[in-house]
Parts: sequence; structure tokens; C-alpha cells
Amino acid sequence: MTVAEVPPAPATAPAPVPVPSLAVRARDAITCEWTKFSSVRSTFWTLLVAVVTPVGFSAIVAVALANQPARAAPVDPLLPGFASLEYAVLAVSVLGVLGFGTEYSTGLIRTTFAAMPRRRVVLAAKAAVLGAVTLVAGELVAFVSFFLAQAVLSGHHLGVSLSTPGVAGAVAAEGILLFVVAMLGLALGAIIRHTAGGIAAVVGLIFLPAILGLLPAPWGGRVGRFTLLEAAHQVTALHPAVNLFSPALALLVLLAWPAAALGLAALLITRRDA
Amino acid sequence: MIEVDRLTKRFGPVTAVDELSFTVRPGHVTGFLGPNGAGKTTTMRLILGLDAPTGGTARVNKKRYPELIRPLHQVGTLLDATALHGGRTARAHVVSIAQSNGIGRSRVTEVLRLTGLEAVARRRVAGFSLGMKQRLGIAVALLGDPAVLMFDEPVNGLDAEGIAWIRQFFKALAADGRTVLVSSHLMSEMSQVADHLIVIGRGRLLADVPTATLIESSTRSDVLVRSPRASELAGLLAARGATVTREDDGGLAVTGLDAPAIGDLAASHGIAVHALIPRSASLEEAYLDLTGESVEYRAPSQDGVPGR
Repeated sequence: MTVAEVPPAPATAPAPVPVPSLAVRARDAITCEWTKFSSVRSTFWTLLVAVVTPVGFSAIVAVALANQPARAAPVDPLLPGFASLEYAVLAVSVLGVLGFGTEYSTGLIRTTFAAMPRRRVVLAAKAAVLGAVTLVAGELVAFVSFFLAQAVLSGHHLGVSLSTPGVAGAVAAEGILLFVVAMLGLALGAIIRHTAGGIAAVVGLIFLPAILGLLPAPWGGRVGRFTLLEAAHQVTALHPAVNLFSPALALLVLLAWPAAALGLAALLITRRDA
Repeated sequence: MIEVDRLTKRFGPVTAVDELSFTVRPGHVTGFLGPNGAGKTTTMRLILGLDAPTGGTARVNKKRYPELIRPLHQVGTLLDATALHGGRTARAHVVSIAQSNGIGRSRVTEVLRLTGLEAVARRRVAGFSLGMKQRLGIAVALLGDPAVLMFDEPVNGLDAEGIAWIRQFFKALAADGRTVLVSSHLMSEMSQVADHLIVIGRGRLLADVPTATLIESSTRSDVLVRSPRASELAGLLAARGATVTREDDGGLAVTGLDAPAIGDLAASHGIAVHALIPRSASLEEAYLDLTGESVEYRAPSQDGVPGR
């Protein structure tokens, strides 16, 4: 490395910087967070896992369903898509945690907050970038999985078409699940301020409450309907279960999880020392 | 300009920064000195609004830092050079921070050139040496061409060439009329570059003086006198108003009279003088005198103090 020269003489008095509009500052924050998001390999690999595994798995699940020797109950033709999404849920929730987790773990968060002292702007910008990407990825996964699974099932006269009432909405809702868990992960990363701790928390919050659904009736349904995965299942099922919330209410439950977590993160982020 | 007014920060029972007040003026390199654990990093975090003060205020260019819009245009900082995402390239790191304050790509290229990182700009920072990371941190601090710059222990990890470069660099920044605050726990680093010193110990202000004044004011500036008739000479010196301390080896440590006056006095009384040595304390010694007490009190209970 060579020794660089001394900086050139700058303007003596700092030129009055015009105060940029809110829209310009929002754009600054979002481009900054987009650069951070897209300039590390973990983003690419996590998204690849999140997209490829569920698409592949849904085809495998569809084949398994189609080849069941005797069917006691009618098969939900949307099940392959939802069942295979769990792997993507894991990957994307971790991706969410990394948004703040790595910044806190490395100490980079101080550079970030020194550059953008309005911390909620940072939270909002990260949410915007991650939200947009995971929503697109989620819908991509949902619809590609759907068409692939139906291609398999239709050969056995088990498939449904997108024009069947309720199907398009259920598939679209499936795509929202990745957005939901990404936001939950992002918020938990900001709350816990540690990558490993954030991952443990998000996995725990998503998967552990599923146990509640196994409580004896009627408590399994009464309590279970508030859990994230049961709500997601209800929203994405073609034939929703009767002992749970209606799909519309379940969608609210699904969105309430990340909303509450982001709200808590927004509250804590300005109150704690970085 | 940085103005700190009765700034206080407590972490539970520990007071990391205690009613600290000082002003850092433009046009100087100001050394921010204190032993490890004195509260230097905490003070810098408070100035940047990263930590909320328990009491008092810190202002940069007359404003609290969190009120600044696009702050990098006014304040550049390097707190921890190793606080990086190892998987990102140097350029991507600098670009992302530049974007947050509306700073263009050409300025990114410029600061990478100024810090000698052009050649490695597209390499992932995980492979960087500490010295390279320090340069990267300095590049980020310079991004907005700010009038105020703060560096926390910037010399750590630099080789001799890097240290020479950084000293020259700080002086040039100050000569431009910028406010430059540089922290260190080593006086030897600061004596070469800082013309003003703020010394703290256990979170309290110990000195806020020009570097030269600190040396002059040191109590250890004295004259060592050796003589076969030391006791007699000591009496004569004391009679002239000098303060004489007898050292273990029989030498006399004299303050209040300079070497020529002592020599003349001895000669006029026919007393032989075998040694007459003016001893001016080095800056390092002056610093140790100042902070000695605050270090001694640093009992094990202070190990938990965050920052340095």
C-alpha cells in the first residue's frame, strides 16, 4: 500500500447545505440499505435457498400426494405449496434477522446511526428493501410452486385451476408469508441486537407456538388460531378449517405478528444506546 | 467546533463520564487523552448521539448531533475501524454510507484515493489488515468533507509509515481550519501531532491546555545537583527561596532556581558542584503525573466500564 498524499485544501467555510426534502432523505436511506443488502453474498444464497427449495419440494409433495394408495379425506390441492414453504420461512426469517443482527454484532450499527441519526428511518428503510424483495420472492415461489404442483396433480385429476374460486387469493396469500416472517426477523434482530439470539427468537416464535395447536379440543383451535403458522395455514387453505378464525381474520393475525414486533423495535431503537 | 457542557453518563453504579466540559476549537489538532477506561470512547459516543447522556449536553456546530440533517457533511468520525461487514467490498461499504447522506460516487472514488485504498477497493474487507481498516474508516470520515472530525485511537494497527502519514494528515486537516479531535491513551502518539490537549481520567477533566503549557506546568521540571557539600548547598539554596528535595542517592532536586543561578551560587561560596542537570519532564511524564492518580484508583470493579 502506498502512502497517499495529504488532502487538497477544501472550501474554507462550509457551503450552506440546502435541507433536502423528506422524499430525498427517504430515497437516500433506501438506496443505502439496498446497497448493503445487495452487496453481501449471504443475501443471494439465502434467497436462492428460499426460492429453489420450496419450488422443488412442492413438486415432490405433489407426487407423494398423487400416489397415495387410498385417500380417506379429500386432498387440499394447495397443500404442496404451503407445506414446502416452511423451508423458505426458515431461510427468509434468518435473512430478516441479519438485517440488524450483523450490524449490531460487528458494531457497524454505530456507523449507520452516525450517518442517519434518525433511527426509525433506518428501520423503515431496511423494512422497505427487505419487504419488497421478500414479497416478490414470496409470490414468485407461491405461483411457481402452484403451477408445478398442479401440473403433477392434474395428471391424477386432483388439481385445481387458478380460476377456481378462492384459489388465486390463497396462492397470493401464501406469497405473503415470506414477507411476514422477514419483517418479524428484521424486528427481532433490532430488538435482540444479536444475530444468533435473533435467529433463535424468530425460529422459536414461528415454530414453537405450533405446539399450542395440539392442545386438546377445543383449546387447540382457540389458542392455536393466534399462532403464526396456523393463521398462515388458514389463510392459504382452499378449504379453511372450521374451528379457527375466518381467512380474513387469520390474515389480520398473520400481519399482526410482524406489525407488533416492528412496533416494539421502533419503540426500543431510539431508547437504547447503540 | 465541539462543545461539551457538564456531560455525564452513568452505566448503573459506574459513572463513565462525570460532569465533563470542554470545547474543541477549529484550526487545531486536539488530543483527547486518558488511560484506558477513562471515558474517551463514551464521550465520543455521547457527542454523536449514539448514547444518551444522563446529564449535560454535547453540541457540534451549535447543534445536538441527532438534529443534524445529512450529518456526514458536518461531522466525520472513526470510532471502531473493525466495525465492518467482512463480506462487503471496501467500495460497497463506502458507497452505502455515502448514499445515506446523498454523496455521489465520484467522492467515494476520491476518498479511497486519498487514503491509498484505490487498489484494494474491490476486495472484501474481511481480508484487510487493521491498518487498511483504519484507512477505510478514515475514508468514510472524510466522505462529506466535514468541518469537524473525530477519530478514536486512529493510530492503532498502523505501521511506521502509516503513523507518519496520519500525523501529517491530521495537521493538514487542522491547517485547513477544521476541528480535529483525536483520542489516544498514549501521550507519545499525541505529543507529535496535537497542539492542544484534553486529558481526562475516570470520566473527569484533568487538563484542557495547549500541549506546550502542559510540559511547562509539570511539577517535575527541576535541576539535579550533586555536590560533596550537598547539605551546605541545600541550606544556601533554600535561603534563596528554592525548594530542595534530597534524593535517595544524595542528589538534590531543586526547583525555583535555574541551573546557572545554582551554579553561580555554589561558585560564590566555593562549593564544588559535580553535576548540574536541568531536567524537564517529558510530555509522557507530565501525562503520567496527571493521570497517575486516576489510574491508581482504577480498581477491579471498573473492569465492566463499557468503552475506553
